[in-house]
Amino acid sequence: MKNRRLLSLVAVVVIFAPCRVIAADVKVIANGSVKADMISATEVKSVFLEESNSLRDGTHVEPVLEKDGPVHQAFMREYLGGSDYDLESYYRALVFSGRGSMPKQLGSDAEVVAYVARTKGAIGYVSAETMVEDVKTLTIVREGNGAQRRLITRVEPNYPDTLKRLNIGGTVRLQLTIGPKGNVETVEVLGGNPILGEAAVAAVRQWVYTASRSRTTAELTIPFDSHH
Amino acid sequence: MLSSDFPIDRLGGPVHKRILSLVSLCLCFQAGQVTLKAQEFKLLDRTVQVHGFVSQGFAYTNNNNWLTMNTSQGSAAFTDFGLNMSSQITDKFRVGAQGYDRNLGQLGQYHPSLDWAVADYRFKDWFGVRGGKVKTTLGLYTDTQDEDFLRTFALLPQSVYPTDLRDATIAHLGGDIYGKISLRRRLGVLSYTAYIGHRNDSIYSGYPYYLSSFGAQIKSFGGLQYGADLRWSTPLKGLLIGASRLNQHITGRGLAINPFNPGEGLVPYSESSKADWTNQFYGEYIVGKLRIDAEYSRYWRNQELFGGTSESFADVRGWYVAGAYRISKRFQIGSYYSHYTISNTVAGALAAFYPPATDTGLPANHDYDKVITGRVDLTKFWNVKVEGHFMNGYGSGPYPNGFYTQVNPGGFAPNTNALVVKTSLNF
Repeated sequence: MKNRRLLSLVAVVVIFAPCRVIAADVKVIANGSVKADMISATEVKSVFLEESNSLRDGTHVEPVLEKDGPVHQAFMREYLGGSDYDLESYYRALVFSGRGSMPKQLGSDAEVVAYVARTKGAIGYVSAETMVEDVKTLTIVREGNGAQRRLITRVEPNYPDTLKRLNIGGTVRLQLTIGPKGNVETVEVLGGNPILGEAAVAAVRQWVYTASRSRTTAELTIPFDSHH
Repeated sequence: MLSSDFPIDRLGGPVHKRILSLVSLCLCFQAGQVTLKAQEFKLLDRTVQVHGFVSQGFAYTNNNNWLTMNTSQGSAAFTDFGLNMSSQITDKFRVGAQGYDRNLGQLGQYHPSLDWAVADYRFKDWFGVRGGKVKTTLGLYTDTQDEDFLRTFALLPQSVYPTDLRDATIAHLGGDIYGKISLRRRLGVLSYTAYIGHRNDSIYSGYPYYLSSFGAQIKSFGGLQYGADLRWSTPLKGLLIGASRLNQHITGRGLAINPFNPGEGLVPYSESSKADWTNQFYGEYIVGKLRIDAEYSRYWRNQELFGGTSESFADVRGWYVAGAYRISKRFQIGSYYSHYTISNTVAGALAAFYPPATDTGLPANHDYDKVITGRVDLTKFWNVKVEGHFMNGYGSGPYPNGFYTQVNPGGFAPNTNALVVKTSLNF
């Protein structure tokens, strides 16, 4: 019995270790009214720069930002580039020239989750480790060397029971190579919990995309949320 | 030179101006404290955002008076402020408006104006329309030229963005179509804007003030504007390049002293465009904390004067290269070189009064400005800038560029050094 407890403890420590490495990672969340489960990093950028107010599927979206801090910095680094100062200036230029509005900015992950949950079309970001309820966590795809390819068969990853029970979640980043016929040829884990990574790889290998003239690459961020 | 008949505001005296500047500055600090907490409210179940800014500058020059201020004595007649409200009515429809006011030496004189008032409907990301009084898209900064808090510099390069002539390009009463198109194969994003509308200059702006040096009293100045802008966010992260074109048909009307018979007094005066266009090319590169931008502008202006008895041809060319670096969260430095030339000829009856001025090597026909700036952000919403200008030339006409004979009655010195200190607050 003692040995089993010790083993569990060791397992938890091992499992958490890689999570710390990606502690600054973020996941993108959306209100339940948003139809898409997966959007591209380009779409995320367009939405947060107010270049787009809808996703490719036509859903209207409204960006919600978190105030400057590690989560906001990580989001800037991952999706927008530039600094918080540049982003503030960008929004003010829109506001003072009559071209756009200042997006909602909230103080914490909890506030962002609460706002996204109650606001139709809201799309925001929180730390990858934050447990979220009543919102959907979006899979983010980063197109590689080819045109955007539409996913036609998606298999959801099998969330390991032990991790789910222990509320261990987060995001896993994968690099895929997609063959001309649309099958996933290779999958490489770029970051995240290795056990969740294994589950994600097993699922993504079964995904099928639309055919293309050549082999393409894509980068995915897959969320694992123990509340869903 | 004939006497100035430019409208002088009764509140435009130096003491009143200083008081108004001080009051507006106090209001700005007060506003900053209050509105940072309350920038939006609900109206008919819609969120209305309220934003504003105010700036106060001080300029001192060692030689010529600049930008219609008495800068050789040091001048704080350098104030502007704006307030806007906007609301997203539906997913695709947004409305908003901004009021703006300024006092810059002899210009503006605290006569408020509607800066923009727009109804904007975005059908798709690649196609939207907006109508009303719309800020004109021309180059990198025309539509945001009043909001100096967006940039490192206190004054934009005057060769391309002359602050005394802001009315010429700032907005049009009409409509735009606009959109963004993502190019395939990760080739970046193309943004376009095309517009048509009516420009209406304030009689308190730079060009009517310039004409007042010839005894002209301009009653109206404006006309048709149409043009387009195309910009490409290239695959190289942070690099944007673009081009703008603006065509105008402008008419100015008023009264002027007859140059052929000054004793006759004021006679009707008119001038109108035969050809009036601007081409502007620009690029911007942002990498890390460094921002570099450069623009080239050519303004060709062929005007009929005095009802067609004479014609003026002005070829105004300007370019600049600017760099700015953010040293820390609160401190930025920047520098630019701004190059302005004007070449002018007059044909017809007035030709005898105005010999050709085509040698752009002469100080009267150019303004080369080397600038260094430091900016400190005291808070996220309040900054102070200190800027040095080292100018050669004064490009004083026939289309003005910062230097006016009325405030330099003793003539111009070829070189001017200027110190500009400016603080601005926004919310």
